[in-house]
Amino acid sequence: MKKILIVEDDEIIAQELQSLLNNAGYVATIFSHFENALEEILKEKVDLILLDINIPHINGEFLLQEFRKQSSIPIIMVTSRNSEADELLSMSFGADDYITKPYNPNILLLRIAAILKRVDSNSQNLVYRDIDILIQKGILRRGNEEIILTKNEMIIFCYLVTHQNRIVTRDELMTDLWSNNEYINDNALTVNISRLRSKLKEIGYEDAITTRKKMGYILS
Amino acid sequence: MNLKNYMKDKLIFIILFLFTYSILFLLFCAFKIPNSLIIAVTFLLFSLLFSVILIDYFRKKSFYQLLLSTIEKLDKAYFVIEMLEEPSFYEGKMIYQALYDINKSMCEMIRQLENQTEDFKEYIEIWIHEVKLPIASLVLMAHNHPDKFDKNSKEQIRRIEDYVEQVLYYVRQEFAEKDYLINAVSLKKVVSNVALRNKNEFLERNIDLIVENVDYSVYTDSKWLEFILNQIIGNSMKYKDKKNAYIKINTIEEKNKYILEIIDNGMGISKEDLPRVFNKSFTGNNGRRCAKSTGMGLYIVKRLCDKLGHKVTIESRKGEYTKVSIIFFKNKYYDVLC
Repeated sequence: MKKILIVEDDEIIAQELQSLLNNAGYVATIFSHFENALEEILKEKVDLILLDINIPHINGEFLLQEFRKQSSIPIIMVTSRNSEADELLSMSFGADDYITKPYNPNILLLRIAAILKRVDSNSQNLVYRDIDILIQKGILRRGNEEIILTKNEMIIFCYLVTHQNRIVTRDELMTDLWSNNEYINDNALTVNISRLRSKLKEIGYEDAITTRKKMGYILS
Repeated sequence: MNLKNYMKDKLIFIILFLFTYSILFLLFCAFKIPNSLIIAVTFLLFSLLFSVILIDYFRKKSFYQLLLSTIEKLDKAYFVIEMLEEPSFYEGKMIYQALYDINKSMCEMIRQLENQTEDFKEYIEIWIHEVKLPIASLVLMAHNHPDKFDKNSKEQIRRIEDYVEQVLYYVRQEFAEKDYLINAVSLKKVVSNVALRNKNEFLERNIDLIVENVDYSVYTDSKWLEFILNQIIGNSMKYKDKKNAYIKINTIEEKNKYILEIIDNGMGISKEDLPRVFNKSFTGNNGRRCAKSTGMGLYIVKRLCDKLGHKVTIESRKGEYTKVSIIFFKNKYYDVLC
Protein backbone atom coordinates (compact mmCIF):
# COMPACT_ATOMS: atom_id res chain seq x y z
CA MET A 1 0.00 0.00 0.00
CA LYS A 2 1.34 3.40 -1.02
CA LYS A 3 1.64 6.00 1.70
CA ILE A 4 0.63 9.61 1.05
CA LEU A 5 1.25 12.59 3.32
CA ILE A 6 -1.24 15.44 3.29
CA VAL A 7 0.29 18.81 4.17
CA GLU A 8 -2.75 21.07 4.39
CA ASP A 9 -3.79 23.43 7.16
CA ASP A 10 -7.51 23.52 6.41
CA GLU A 11 -8.72 20.72 8.67
CA ILE A 12 -11.88 19.84 6.80
CA ILE A 13 -10.13 19.62 3.46
CA ALA A 14 -7.37 17.54 5.02
CA GLN A 15 -9.88 15.11 6.51
CA GLU A 16 -11.93 14.80 3.36
CA LEU A 17 -8.76 14.33 1.36
CA GLN A 18 -7.69 11.61 3.77
CA SER A 19 -10.92 9.69 3.39
CA LEU A 20 -10.81 10.15 -0.39
CA LEU A 21 -7.30 8.67 -0.52
CA ASN A 22 -8.08 5.89 1.96
CA ASN A 23 -11.13 4.88 -0.07
CA ALA A 24 -8.95 4.76 -3.14
CA GLY A 25 -6.64 2.28 -1.49
CA TYR A 26 -3.84 4.49 -0.23
CA VAL A 27 -2.70 5.05 3.33
CA ALA A 28 -3.04 8.76 3.93
CA THR A 29 -1.74 10.63 6.95
CA ILE A 30 -2.41 14.24 7.84
CA PHE A 31 0.63 16.31 8.67
CA SER A 32 0.27 18.65 11.62
CA HIS A 33 3.71 19.83 12.84
CA PHE A 34 3.84 23.08 10.94
CA GLU A 35 6.37 24.75 13.30
CA ASN A 36 9.15 22.49 12.20
CA ALA A 37 7.76 21.54 8.86
CA LEU A 38 10.91 20.71 6.92
CA GLU A 39 12.51 18.41 9.52
CA GLU A 40 9.22 16.71 10.32
CA ILE A 41 8.33 16.05 6.69
CA LEU A 42 11.80 14.64 6.03
CA LYS A 43 11.24 12.18 8.89
CA GLU A 44 8.07 10.80 7.32
CA LYS A 45 8.56 7.72 5.20
CA VAL A 46 5.99 8.16 2.44
CA ASP A 47 5.66 7.58 -1.29
CA LEU A 48 4.09 10.89 -2.20
CA ILE A 49 3.34 14.27 -0.62
CA LEU A 50 0.40 16.57 -1.29
CA LEU A 51 1.66 20.03 -0.39
CA ASP A 52 -0.37 23.21 -0.01
CA ILE A 53 1.37 26.53 -0.72
CA ASN A 54 -0.43 28.48 2.00
CA ILE A 55 0.56 26.71 5.19
CA PRO A 56 1.32 28.31 8.56
CA HIS A 57 4.86 29.45 9.51
CA ILE A 58 6.48 28.68 6.18
CA ASN A 59 5.83 29.34 2.51
CA GLY A 60 5.05 26.14 0.64
CA GLU A 61 7.24 27.06 -2.31
CA PHE A 62 10.21 27.69 -0.05
CA LEU A 63 9.52 24.45 1.78
CA LEU A 64 9.42 22.62 -1.53
CA GLN A 65 12.73 24.13 -2.61
CA GLU A 66 14.45 23.17 0.65
CA PHE A 67 12.88 19.73 0.67
CA ARG A 68 14.10 19.00 -2.86
CA LYS A 69 17.70 19.54 -1.76
CA GLN A 70 17.42 16.54 0.52
CA SER A 71 14.79 14.23 -0.86
CA SER A 72 13.32 13.11 -4.17
CA ILE A 73 9.94 11.91 -2.91
CA PRO A 74 7.30 12.99 -5.47
CA ILE A 75 5.37 16.11 -4.51
CA ILE A 76 2.10 17.38 -5.91
CA MET A 77 1.42 21.03 -5.14
CA VAL A 78 -2.22 21.54 -4.27
CA THR A 79 -3.20 25.16 -4.07
CA SER A 80 -5.88 27.72 -4.67
CA ARG A 81 -3.47 29.99 -6.55
CA ASN A 82 -3.98 29.41 -10.20
CA SER A 83 -1.79 31.70 -12.23
CA GLU A 84 0.61 30.38 -14.83
CA ALA A 85 3.50 32.06 -12.99
CA ASP A 86 2.72 30.24 -9.71
CA GLU A 87 2.61 26.94 -11.53
CA LEU A 88 5.89 27.49 -13.37
CA LEU A 89 7.58 28.56 -10.16
CA SER A 90 6.48 25.42 -8.33
CA MET A 91 7.48 23.16 -11.19
CA SER A 92 10.89 24.83 -11.38
CA PHE A 93 11.35 24.22 -7.65
CA GLY A 94 10.91 20.53 -8.30
CA ALA A 95 7.20 19.77 -7.90
CA ASP A 96 6.05 16.75 -9.87
CA ASP A 97 2.61 18.13 -10.55
CA TYR A 98 0.48 21.15 -9.74
CA ILE A 99 -3.26 21.01 -9.09
CA THR A 100 -5.50 23.94 -8.27
CA LYS A 101 -8.30 23.91 -5.75
CA PRO A 102 -11.10 23.15 -6.10
CA TYR A 103 -10.04 20.04 -7.94
CA ASN A 104 -12.07 17.19 -9.29
CA PRO A 105 -11.39 14.24 -6.91
CA ASN A 106 -11.20 11.70 -9.71
CA ILE A 107 -8.67 13.80 -11.57
CA LEU A 108 -6.59 14.20 -8.43
CA LEU A 109 -6.56 10.40 -8.04
CA LEU A 110 -5.57 9.95 -11.67
CA ARG A 111 -2.67 12.37 -11.32
CA ILE A 112 -1.50 10.65 -8.14
CA ALA A 113 -1.68 7.27 -9.84
CA ALA A 114 0.20 8.61 -12.86
CA ILE A 115 3.04 9.93 -10.73
CA LEU A 116 3.33 6.80 -8.63
CA LYS A 117 3.36 4.77 -11.83
CA ARG A 118 6.09 6.98 -13.27
CA VAL A 119 8.18 6.45 -10.14
CA ASP A 120 8.15 2.68 -10.42
CA SER A 121 8.04 2.70 -14.18
CA ASN A 122 10.68 0.04 -14.34
CA SER A 123 8.10 -2.36 -12.99
CA GLN A 124 7.05 -5.16 -15.31
CA ASN A 125 4.35 -4.99 -17.95
CA LEU A 126 0.76 -4.91 -16.86
CA VAL A 127 -0.60 -8.44 -16.38
CA TYR A 128 -4.07 -9.78 -15.66
CA ARG A 129 -3.97 -13.38 -14.39
CA ASP A 130 -2.19 -15.10 -17.29
CA ILE A 131 -2.94 -12.39 -19.85
CA ASP A 132 -0.10 -10.14 -20.95
CA ILE A 133 -1.26 -6.63 -21.72
CA LEU A 134 0.72 -5.01 -24.54
CA ILE A 135 -0.56 -1.45 -24.22
CA GLN A 136 1.45 0.10 -27.05
CA LYS A 137 0.33 -2.58 -29.53
CA GLY A 138 -3.24 -2.68 -28.20
CA ILE A 139 -3.04 -6.43 -27.78
CA LEU A 140 -4.01 -8.93 -25.07
CA ARG A 141 -2.01 -12.15 -25.26
CA ARG A 142 -2.83 -15.42 -23.52
CA GLY A 143 -0.44 -18.17 -24.44
CA ASN A 144 -0.47 -18.01 -28.22
CA GLU A 145 -3.91 -16.49 -28.49
CA GLU A 146 -4.09 -12.78 -29.24
CA ILE A 147 -6.96 -10.33 -29.34
CA ILE A 148 -6.87 -6.74 -30.49
CA LEU A 149 -8.44 -4.01 -28.38
CA THR A 150 -9.41 -0.54 -29.55
CA LYS A 151 -7.83 2.42 -27.77
CA ASN A 152 -10.92 2.99 -25.64
CA GLU A 153 -11.23 -0.66 -24.68
CA MET A 154 -7.56 -0.68 -23.73
CA ILE A 155 -7.93 2.39 -21.51
CA ILE A 156 -10.92 0.83 -19.76
CA PHE A 157 -9.22 -2.55 -19.33
CA CYS A 158 -6.02 -1.03 -17.94
CA TYR A 159 -7.98 1.02 -15.46
CA LEU A 160 -9.89 -2.05 -14.31
CA VAL A 161 -6.69 -4.07 -14.00
CA THR A 162 -4.92 -1.43 -11.93
CA HIS A 163 -7.99 -1.27 -9.68
CA GLN A 164 -8.66 -4.97 -9.58
CA ASN A 165 -11.09 -6.37 -7.01
CA ARG A 166 -12.68 -3.10 -6.11
CA ILE A 167 -15.71 -1.31 -7.47
CA VAL A 168 -14.83 1.05 -10.27
CA THR A 169 -17.52 3.65 -10.97
CA ARG A 170 -18.55 4.69 -14.47
CA ASP A 171 -17.47 8.20 -13.55
CA GLU A 172 -13.92 7.01 -12.83
CA LEU A 173 -13.78 5.26 -16.19
CA MET A 174 -15.19 8.33 -17.91
CA THR A 175 -12.63 10.59 -16.22
CA ASP A 176 -9.82 8.32 -17.31
CA LEU A 177 -11.09 8.18 -20.90
CA TRP A 178 -11.64 11.92 -21.11
CA SER A 179 -8.24 12.66 -19.67
CA ASN A 180 -6.83 10.50 -22.48
CA ASN A 181 -8.61 12.76 -24.99
CA GLU A 182 -11.34 10.21 -25.74
CA TYR A 183 -14.48 12.28 -25.31
CA ILE A 184 -17.09 9.55 -25.50
CA ASN A 185 -20.65 9.62 -24.17
CA ASP A 186 -22.54 7.30 -21.84
CA ASN A 187 -23.86 5.02 -24.58
CA ALA A 188 -20.42 4.63 -26.08
CA LEU A 189 -19.03 3.60 -22.70
CA THR A 190 -21.70 0.93 -22.33
CA VAL A 191 -20.95 -0.32 -25.84
CA ASN A 192 -17.21 -0.36 -25.18
CA ILE A 193 -17.63 -2.35 -21.98
CA SER A 194 -19.86 -4.93 -23.60
CA ARG A 195 -17.40 -5.29 -26.49
CA LEU A 196 -14.57 -5.65 -24.01
CA ARG A 197 -16.56 -8.36 -22.24
CA SER A 198 -17.16 -10.31 -25.39
CA LYS A 199 -13.48 -10.01 -26.36
CA LEU A 200 -12.46 -11.32 -22.95
CA LYS A 201 -14.92 -14.14 -23.46
CA GLU A 202 -13.06 -15.08 -26.64
CA ILE A 203 -9.96 -15.84 -24.64
CA GLY A 204 -11.81 -17.59 -21.88
CA TYR A 205 -12.58 -14.97 -19.24
CA GLU A 206 -16.30 -14.72 -19.63
CA ASP A 207 -17.14 -13.42 -16.17
CA ALA A 208 -14.09 -11.32 -15.51
CA ILE A 209 -16.07 -8.08 -15.39
CA THR A 210 -19.18 -8.04 -13.23
CA THR A 211 -21.68 -5.23 -13.01
CA ARG A 212 -22.78 -3.83 -9.66
CA LYS A 213 -26.08 -2.10 -10.11
CA LYS A 214 -25.88 1.67 -9.60
CA MET A 215 -22.29 1.30 -8.37
CA GLY A 216 -20.05 0.34 -11.25
CA TYR A 217 -17.95 -2.61 -12.33
CA ILE A 218 -15.55 -5.04 -10.69
CA LEU A 219 -12.78 -6.93 -12.38
CA SER A 220 -12.07 -10.04 -10.36
CA MET B 1 -2.10 82.73 -30.83
CA ASN B 2 -2.09 85.24 -33.65
CA LEU B 3 -1.53 88.96 -33.71
CA LYS B 4 -4.99 89.84 -35.03
CA ASN B 5 -6.78 88.11 -32.18
CA TYR B 6 -4.33 89.52 -29.72
CA MET B 7 -5.02 93.04 -30.98
CA LYS B 8 -8.75 92.40 -30.71
CA ASP B 9 -8.16 91.39 -27.12
CA LYS B 10 -6.38 94.70 -26.49
CA LEU B 11 -9.08 96.71 -28.31
CA ILE B 12 -10.28 98.61 -25.23
CA PHE B 13 -6.73 99.62 -24.49
CA ILE B 14 -6.24 100.87 -28.06
CA ILE B 15 -9.58 102.74 -28.05
CA LEU B 16 -8.70 104.37 -24.73
CA PHE B 17 -5.35 105.38 -26.20
CA LEU B 18 -6.95 106.85 -29.34
CA PHE B 19 -9.52 108.67 -27.18
CA THR B 20 -6.78 110.15 -24.96
CA TYR B 21 -4.72 111.02 -28.03
CA SER B 22 -7.62 112.85 -29.70
CA ILE B 23 -8.21 114.93 -26.53
CA LEU B 24 -4.50 115.66 -26.44
CA PHE B 25 -4.60 116.61 -30.15
CA LEU B 26 -7.51 119.01 -29.54
CA LEU B 27 -5.67 120.50 -26.57
CA PHE B 28 -2.55 120.97 -28.70
CA CYS B 29 -4.62 122.77 -31.35
CA ALA B 30 -6.41 124.90 -28.75
CA PHE B 31 -3.09 126.02 -27.26
CA LYS B 32 -1.68 126.69 -30.75
CA ILE B 33 1.22 124.34 -30.30
CA PRO B 34 3.50 124.37 -33.37
CA ASN B 35 2.77 121.63 -35.95
CA SER B 36 6.23 120.15 -35.84
CA LEU B 37 5.89 119.39 -32.09
CA ILE B 38 2.48 117.81 -32.68
CA ILE B 39 3.97 115.52 -35.33
CA ALA B 40 6.90 114.57 -33.09
CA VAL B 41 4.65 113.80 -30.10
CA THR B 42 2.24 111.86 -32.31
CA PHE B 43 5.08 109.81 -33.74
CA LEU B 44 6.48 109.14 -30.26
CA LEU B 45 3.14 108.12 -28.78
CA PHE B 46 2.21 105.78 -31.62
CA SER B 47 5.57 104.09 -31.72
CA LEU B 48 5.30 103.63 -27.94
CA LEU B 49 1.86 102.04 -28.38
CA PHE B 50 3.01 99.64 -31.08
CA SER B 51 6.21 98.66 -29.37
CA VAL B 52 4.36 97.92 -26.09
CA ILE B 53 1.84 95.78 -27.94
CA LEU B 54 4.44 93.96 -30.02
CA ILE B 55 6.90 93.32 -27.18
CA ASP B 56 4.08 91.99 -25.00
CA TYR B 57 2.74 89.91 -27.87
CA PHE B 58 6.01 88.18 -28.62
CA ARG B 59 6.83 87.49 -24.97
CA LYS B 60 3.51 85.81 -24.42
CA LYS B 61 3.41 84.17 -27.79
CA SER B 62 6.47 82.01 -27.20
CA PHE B 63 5.01 80.63 -23.94
CA TYR B 64 1.39 80.10 -25.02
CA GLN B 65 2.34 78.74 -28.40
CA LEU B 66 4.53 76.12 -26.75
CA LEU B 67 1.81 75.31 -24.20
CA LEU B 68 -0.87 74.79 -26.84
CA SER B 69 1.25 72.83 -29.28
CA THR B 70 2.61 70.58 -26.53
CA ILE B 71 -0.90 69.82 -25.28
CA GLU B 72 -1.90 68.92 -28.80
CA LYS B 73 1.08 66.63 -29.31
CA LEU B 74 0.97 64.82 -25.99
CA ASP B 75 -1.37 61.87 -25.77
CA LYS B 76 -1.67 62.45 -22.04
CA ALA B 77 -2.20 66.20 -21.91
CA TYR B 78 -1.74 66.39 -18.15
CA PHE B 79 2.00 65.86 -18.55
CA VAL B 80 2.29 69.29 -20.20
CA ILE B 81 3.74 70.94 -17.11
CA GLU B 82 6.78 68.68 -17.32
CA MET B 83 7.53 69.97 -20.81
CA LEU B 84 7.42 73.72 -20.12
CA GLU B 85 9.88 76.15 -18.60
CA GLU B 86 8.62 78.79 -16.26
CA PRO B 87 7.94 81.95 -18.35
CA SER B 88 9.44 85.36 -17.53
CA PHE B 89 6.26 87.46 -17.46
CA TYR B 90 3.99 87.80 -14.45
CA GLU B 91 0.75 86.49 -15.98
CA GLY B 92 2.60 83.46 -17.35
CA LYS B 93 4.17 82.76 -13.96
CA MET B 94 0.73 82.67 -12.41
CA ILE B 95 -0.59 80.31 -15.06
CA TYR B 96 2.49 78.14 -14.71
CA GLN B 97 2.02 77.97 -10.94
CA ALA B 98 -1.69 77.23 -11.33
CA LEU B 99 -0.98 74.45 -13.82
CA TYR B 100 1.60 73.03 -11.47
CA ASP B 101 -0.80 73.00 -8.52
CA ILE B 102 -3.66 71.52 -10.55
CA ASN B 103 -1.39 68.83 -11.91
CA LYS B 104 -0.06 67.99 -8.47
CA SER B 105 -3.49 67.67 -6.95
CA MET B 106 -4.65 65.51 -9.83
CA CYS B 107 -1.62 63.25 -9.51
CA GLU B 108 -2.34 62.83 -5.82
CA MET B 109 -5.93 61.99 -6.62
CA ILE B 110 -4.93 59.44 -9.24
CA ARG B 111 -2.37 57.92 -6.91
CA GLN B 112 -5.02 57.57 -4.24
CA LEU B 113 -7.45 55.94 -6.66
CA GLU B 114 -4.71 53.64 -7.93
CA ASN B 115 -3.94 52.55 -4.41
CA GLN B 116 -7.60 51.98 -3.72
CA THR B 117 -7.99 49.93 -6.89
CA GLU B 118 -4.86 47.95 -6.09
CA ASP B 119 -6.08 47.27 -2.55
CA PHE B 120 -9.46 46.26 -3.87
CA LYS B 121 -7.91 43.95 -6.45
CA GLU B 122 -5.66 42.38 -3.85
CA TYR B 123 -8.56 41.89 -1.50
CA ILE B 124 -10.66 40.27 -4.22
CA GLU B 125 -7.79 37.93 -5.13
CA ILE B 126 -7.29 36.92 -1.50
CA TRP B 127 -11.01 36.54 -1.05
CA ILE B 128 -11.22 34.29 -4.09
CA HIS B 129 -8.41 32.09 -2.80
CA GLU B 130 -10.19 31.88 0.53
CA VAL B 131 -13.60 31.12 -0.87
CA LYS B 132 -12.04 28.34 -2.91
CA LEU B 133 -11.24 26.45 0.30
CA PRO B 134 -14.85 25.87 1.34
CA ILE B 135 -15.69 25.09 -2.29
CA ALA B 136 -12.85 22.54 -2.37
CA SER B 137 -14.17 21.03 0.86
CA LEU B 138 -17.66 20.81 -0.62
CA VAL B 139 -16.37 19.12 -3.78
CA LEU B 140 -14.51 16.55 -1.71
CA MET B 141 -17.47 15.99 0.62
CA ALA B 142 -19.81 15.53 -2.31
CA HIS B 143 -17.43 12.94 -3.71
CA ASN B 144 -16.88 11.10 -0.41
CA HIS B 145 -20.51 11.10 0.71
CA PRO B 146 -22.62 10.57 -2.39
CA ASP B 147 -25.54 9.68 -0.12
CA LYS B 148 -25.69 13.21 1.28
CA PHE B 149 -25.09 15.11 -1.95
CA ASP B 150 -27.14 14.35 -5.03
CA LYS B 151 -26.24 15.28 -8.59
CA ASN B 152 -28.03 18.60 -8.36
CA SER B 153 -25.99 19.82 -5.45
CA LYS B 154 -22.80 18.85 -7.28
CA GLU B 155 -24.01 20.87 -10.24
CA GLN B 156 -24.70 23.85 -7.97
CA ILE B 157 -21.22 23.62 -6.46
CA ARG B 158 -19.80 23.68 -9.95
CA ARG B 159 -21.79 26.78 -10.80
CA ILE B 160 -20.45 28.58 -7.72
CA GLU B 161 -16.96 27.57 -8.80
CA ASP B 162 -17.49 28.98 -12.29
CA TYR B 163 -18.90 32.28 -11.06
CA VAL B 164 -16.05 32.71 -8.60
CA GLU B 165 -13.58 32.16 -11.38
CA GLN B 166 -15.36 34.69 -13.55
CA VAL B 167 -14.79 37.34 -10.87
CA LEU B 168 -11.12 36.43 -10.67
CA TYR B 169 -10.61 36.88 -14.39
CA TYR B 170 -12.70 40.04 -14.46
CA VAL B 171 -10.35 41.52 -11.88
CA ARG B 172 -7.34 40.26 -13.80
CA GLN B 173 -8.31 41.70 -17.15
CA GLU B 174 -9.58 44.97 -15.72
CA PHE B 175 -6.79 45.90 -13.36
CA ALA B 176 -3.74 43.78 -13.92
CA GLU B 177 -1.16 45.05 -16.33
CA LYS B 178 0.97 41.92 -16.41
CA ASP B 179 -0.74 39.03 -14.76
CA TYR B 180 -0.12 36.59 -17.53
CA LEU B 181 2.78 34.61 -18.89
CA ILE B 182 3.10 33.82 -22.57
CA ASN B 183 4.43 30.36 -23.29
CA ALA B 184 4.22 27.66 -25.90
CA VAL B 185 1.01 25.91 -24.90
CA SER B 186 -0.41 22.68 -26.29
CA LEU B 187 -3.97 23.25 -27.50
CA LYS B 188 -4.66 19.58 -26.96
CA LYS B 189 -3.83 19.91 -23.28
CA VAL B 190 -5.95 23.02 -22.81
CA VAL B 191 -8.92 21.46 -24.59
CA SER B 192 -8.51 18.31 -22.51
CA ASN B 193 -8.48 20.26 -19.24
CA VAL B 194 -11.58 22.20 -20.19
CA ALA B 195 -13.33 19.05 -21.41
CA LEU B 196 -12.60 17.23 -18.16
CA ARG B 197 -13.86 20.15 -16.17
CA ASN B 198 -17.16 20.11 -18.01
CA LYS B 199 -17.38 16.34 -18.40
CA ASN B 200 -20.34 15.82 -16.12
CA GLU B 201 -22.38 18.53 -17.75
CA PHE B 202 -21.63 17.16 -21.21
CA LEU B 203 -22.75 13.69 -20.15
CA GLU B 204 -25.79 14.77 -18.15
CA ARG B 205 -27.09 17.15 -20.78
CA ASN B 206 -26.36 14.62 -23.50
CA ILE B 207 -24.10 16.82 -25.58
CA ASP B 208 -21.47 15.12 -27.72
CA LEU B 209 -18.00 16.60 -27.69
CA ILE B 210 -16.10 16.23 -30.94
CA VAL B 211 -12.46 17.24 -30.87
CA GLU B 212 -10.43 17.26 -34.07
CA ASN B 213 -7.02 18.57 -35.09
CA VAL B 214 -5.87 20.07 -31.84
CA ASP B 215 -2.28 18.83 -31.99
CA TYR B 216 -0.85 22.32 -32.24
CA SER B 217 1.11 24.51 -29.94
CA VAL B 218 0.36 28.23 -29.69
CA TYR B 219 1.82 31.11 -27.72
CA THR B 220 -0.56 32.11 -24.95
CA ASP B 221 -1.16 31.88 -21.20
CA SER B 222 -2.59 28.43 -20.64
CA LYS B 223 -4.68 29.39 -17.61
CA TRP B 224 -6.22 32.34 -19.37
CA LEU B 225 -6.94 30.28 -22.46
CA GLU B 226 -8.57 27.60 -20.33
CA PHE B 227 -10.83 30.21 -18.82
CA ILE B 228 -11.67 31.62 -22.26
CA LEU B 229 -12.50 28.20 -23.66
CA ASN B 230 -14.49 27.31 -20.56
CA GLN B 231 -16.67 30.41 -20.97
CA ILE B 232 -17.31 29.70 -24.65
CA ILE B 233 -18.13 26.04 -24.08
CA GLY B 234 -20.25 27.03 -21.08
CA ASN B 235 -22.31 29.27 -23.36
CA SER B 236 -22.65 26.54 -25.97
CA MET B 237 -23.97 24.15 -23.33
CA LYS B 238 -26.29 26.76 -21.85
CA TYR B 239 -27.91 27.50 -25.20
CA LYS B 240 -28.37 23.91 -26.33
CA ASP B 241 -31.83 23.35 -27.79
CA LYS B 242 -31.69 20.18 -29.87
CA LYS B 243 -31.75 16.51 -29.01
CA ASN B 244 -28.64 15.54 -30.94
CA ALA B 245 -26.63 18.46 -29.60
CA TYR B 246 -22.91 18.59 -30.20
CA ILE B 247 -19.97 20.91 -29.61
CA LYS B 248 -17.12 20.61 -32.04
CA ILE B 249 -13.63 21.91 -31.41
CA ASN B 250 -11.32 22.13 -34.36
CA THR B 251 -8.13 23.93 -35.37
CA ILE B 252 -7.31 25.28 -38.80
CA GLU B 253 -3.72 26.13 -39.62
CA GLU B 254 -3.13 28.97 -42.03
CA LYS B 255 0.02 30.61 -43.27
CA ASN B 256 0.41 33.08 -40.45
CA LYS B 257 -2.16 31.97 -37.91
CA TYR B 258 -3.96 29.15 -36.14
CA ILE B 259 -7.73 29.36 -35.83
CA LEU B 260 -9.35 27.48 -32.96
CA GLU B 261 -13.04 27.01 -33.72
CA ILE B 262 -15.74 26.10 -31.24
CA ILE B 263 -18.90 25.21 -33.12
CA ASP B 264 -22.23 24.19 -31.62
CA ASN B 265 -25.62 23.39 -33.12
CA GLY B 266 -27.52 25.27 -30.44
CA MET B 267 -30.14 27.97 -30.67
CA GLY B 268 -27.83 30.49 -32.35
CA ILE B 269 -27.81 34.25 -32.00
CA SER B 270 -30.09 36.64 -33.87
CA LYS B 271 -28.60 39.09 -36.37
CA GLU B 272 -29.42 42.14 -34.26
CA ASP B 273 -27.72 40.71 -31.19
CA LEU B 274 -24.63 39.34 -32.89
CA PRO B 275 -22.53 42.54 -33.12
CA ARG B 276 -23.10 43.29 -29.47
CA VAL B 277 -22.36 39.96 -27.76
CA PHE B 278 -18.89 41.09 -26.67
CA ASN B 279 -20.26 44.22 -25.00
CA LYS B 280 -20.22 44.50 -21.24
CA SER B 281 -23.47 43.40 -19.57
CA PHE B 282 -25.12 42.60 -22.89
CA THR B 283 -27.56 39.71 -22.46
CA GLY B 284 -29.57 39.73 -25.68
CA ASN B 285 -32.62 37.65 -26.49
CA ASN B 286 -31.15 34.29 -25.55
CA GLY B 287 -29.80 35.60 -22.26
CA ARG B 288 -33.16 37.01 -21.26
CA ARG B 289 -34.95 33.84 -22.25
CA CYS B 290 -32.62 31.60 -20.26
CA ALA B 291 -32.41 34.11 -17.41
CA LYS B 292 -29.03 32.82 -16.31
CA SER B 293 -26.91 35.26 -18.23
CA THR B 294 -24.83 37.98 -16.60
CA GLY B 295 -23.59 39.33 -19.91
CA MET B 296 -20.05 39.30 -18.57
CA GLY B 297 -18.66 36.03 -19.92
CA LEU B 298 -17.97 37.01 -23.52
CA TYR B 299 -16.98 40.55 -22.51
CA ILE B 300 -14.23 39.12 -20.31
CA VAL B 301 -13.28 36.67 -23.07
CA LYS B 302 -12.84 39.54 -25.52
CA ARG B 303 -10.80 41.61 -23.08
CA LEU B 304 -8.52 38.67 -22.21
CA CYS B 305 -8.01 37.90 -25.92
CA ASP B 306 -7.12 41.54 -26.57
CA LYS B 307 -4.53 41.47 -23.81
CA LEU B 308 -3.02 38.23 -25.05
CA GLY B 309 -2.97 39.49 -28.63
CA HIS B 310 -5.48 36.93 -29.95
CA LYS B 311 -8.46 37.81 -32.06
CA VAL B 312 -11.89 36.47 -31.25
CA THR B 313 -14.79 36.43 -33.69
CA ILE B 314 -18.29 35.04 -33.62
CA GLU B 315 -20.57 33.86 -36.38
CA SER B 316 -24.05 32.44 -36.03
CA ARG B 317 -27.36 31.66 -37.65
CA LYS B 318 -30.49 31.73 -35.52
CA GLY B 319 -31.74 28.26 -34.77
CA GLU B 320 -28.81 26.57 -36.49
CA TYR B 321 -25.35 27.11 -35.15
CA THR B 322 -22.86 29.36 -33.39
CA LYS B 323 -19.18 29.41 -34.21
CA VAL B 324 -16.62 31.20 -32.07
CA SER B 325 -13.09 31.45 -33.49
CA ILE B 326 -10.01 32.34 -31.56
CA ILE B 327 -7.16 33.38 -33.81
CA PHE B 328 -3.58 32.94 -32.67
CA PHE B 329 -1.09 34.72 -34.87
CA LYS B 330 2.17 32.97 -35.56
CA ASN B 331 4.99 35.19 -34.55
CA LYS B 332 8.63 34.78 -35.38
CA TYR B 333 9.53 36.89 -32.38
CA TYR B 334 8.39 34.14 -30.03
CA ASP B 335 10.17 31.46 -32.01
CA VAL B 336 13.42 33.24 -31.36
CA LEU B 337 12.55 34.03 -27.77
CA CYS B 338 11.36 30.67 -26.52
